[in-house]
Amino acid sequence: MKQFSILMQKEWRENIRNYKIYWVPAIFILLGITEPVVNFFLPQILQSSGGLPEGAVFEFPTPPPEQILAAVMEQFQTIGMAVLILAYMGTVAGERKSGTATLLYVRPLSFPAYFLSKWVVASAISLVSVWVGFLAGYYYTLLFFDRVEGMELFQMVGTYSIWVLLIVSIIVAASAAMPNGGLAAAVAFAIYLILQLTDGLFGAAWSISPVKLPQYAAAWLADSPDSGSLTGAIGIAALIILALLVFGSWISWKNKAKTKV
Amino acid sequence: MSILEVEKLTKRYGQESAVEDLSFVLEKETATALIGPNGAGKTTSLSMLADLLSPSSGKITVAEGLTIGFLPQYPQFFPWLTALEFTEMAAKLSGIESKKARLQASRTLGFVGLESAMNKKTGTFSGGMKQRLGLAQAIVHQPKLLLLDEPISALDPTGRREIMDLLKALQRDTTILYSTHILNDAEEMTDQLLFMKDGRLIEQGSLNNVKKRHASPHIRIRFANPNQAAEFAGRLTWERELKGAVVFLPVYKNGPSMQQVLEVLSSEKQDILGVDYQTASLEEIFLKVVAAK
Repeated sequence: MKQFSILMQKEWRENIRNYKIYWVPAIFILLGITEPVVNFFLPQILQSSGGLPEGAVFEFPTPPPEQILAAVMEQFQTIGMAVLILAYMGTVAGERKSGTATLLYVRPLSFPAYFLSKWVVASAISLVSVWVGFLAGYYYTLLFFDRVEGMELFQMVGTYSIWVLLIVSIIVAASAAMPNGGLAAAVAFAIYLILQLTDGLFGAAWSISPVKLPQYAAAWLADSPDSGSLTGAIGIAALIILALLVFGSWISWKNKAKTKV
Repeated sequence: MSILEVEKLTKRYGQESAVEDLSFVLEKETATALIGPNGAGKTTSLSMLADLLSPSSGKITVAEGLTIGFLPQYPQFFPWLTALEFTEMAAKLSGIESKKARLQASRTLGFVGLESAMNKKTGTFSGGMKQRLGLAQAIVHQPKLLLLDEPISALDPTGRREIMDLLKALQRDTTILYSTHILNDAEEMTDQLLFMKDGRLIEQGSLNNVKKRHASPHIRIRFANPNQAAEFAGRLTWERELKGAVVFLPVYKNGPSMQQVLEVLSSEKQDILGVDYQTASLEEIFLKVVAAK
């Protein structure tokens, strides 16, 4: 526990001093704002882009606010996840490759504390980024369209947060397993795509698949997801996260010999 | 009293052997120099002793409760941490109580000469400052055994002298094992020499013993011209070697002592320019041993 708090402090300092604590949330806020703003100004954007016959008239149905927030989540699912991968791909692998890990590994280090400190800080910054991103999206949706029930938003963000934790766990574990940040990013991205593809192709009947968590999160806005399926998906996600934490601690220890001396 | 014993330590990568059958003992509060050309297996050996690498076979036995400090050849630091923050973290991770860690860290930074730079970020440090900080993080928890991989190689002559002086001060109550290829410096701080080549130990012993075995000490007598030298050499009964105007008399192999030589020279009529005692430097011995094995 003592080592965990020492290493947490180190991670925290790193994320503050390399500005990750600012730029990751900033990108999510930008992504959150883009969807309602673009939707609201779409007619003007099309008109100003030119090339349209004179007198052309466009009529856009006003999208419901729930649809705007679901589209914000879509942005997080693509660009947002790529940002998280880029931000944390080198969290373990980068330290080993540069040799900065060597001076940690030569001490009586607890590798679970080491891995967990990285996971906790990466998760905290990712979750806060997603939350402020949704909050920004919600504010502009409220401003330009209509309001969404606070409870619905809360449930959606809560469910989506479990998915974010799962993705962060995959990224940090990939970083611990791979020899460098680039390979860690490739592996994390490949796992992310394979999960989505497999669930999309064969997962129609897999109601408790954690890959469906974003779907269930969006479902809170329309109605509410099937509680049995949601609980099952959260349970499976929690088990996978736990397994990734154990794997990440073990592989960090196993790979300590790969640190640059 | 030994604090570390290494028996038949071996590290292989596939068919390649980085270290093979390495055996030696480190006695308490002694300095041992691990000497070898690039690729000899010095860093691999130190990495195994520092528990960064697992040996393929062999045994490392350490004294109970032994604490170890390690300085890699090119220590890398988190550039966004200050020297004090880094050293304090190193102290805490090595088991120093949080309350004492900061004080201990600032004292250690003062000892290595980084007092005025302790609040600067390590990313701004020069090579010499990094080497000092590397030493600080290795000794901040007052380890009983210090493993140093080329601690002075990257430094300029002034920096080398300062670090050597620090190491000599530490040697009073710490056992030091360090690798180096700057043999003149090794000569002034070593109780034991370990020569490595191609992953194997090819010579070991105290500096005196190694010198006795390989240094070929001799007395050199310089004459004004080669004829005088040849004439003098012709009259000697000792083993000798003539090179131009210089006569060499081996000291070992039943050779004469300096006193005996001076007695002979006192009655000599030839013009003698000088007489001195010569022995091979550690570098010459090392080159000779490496070439022979």
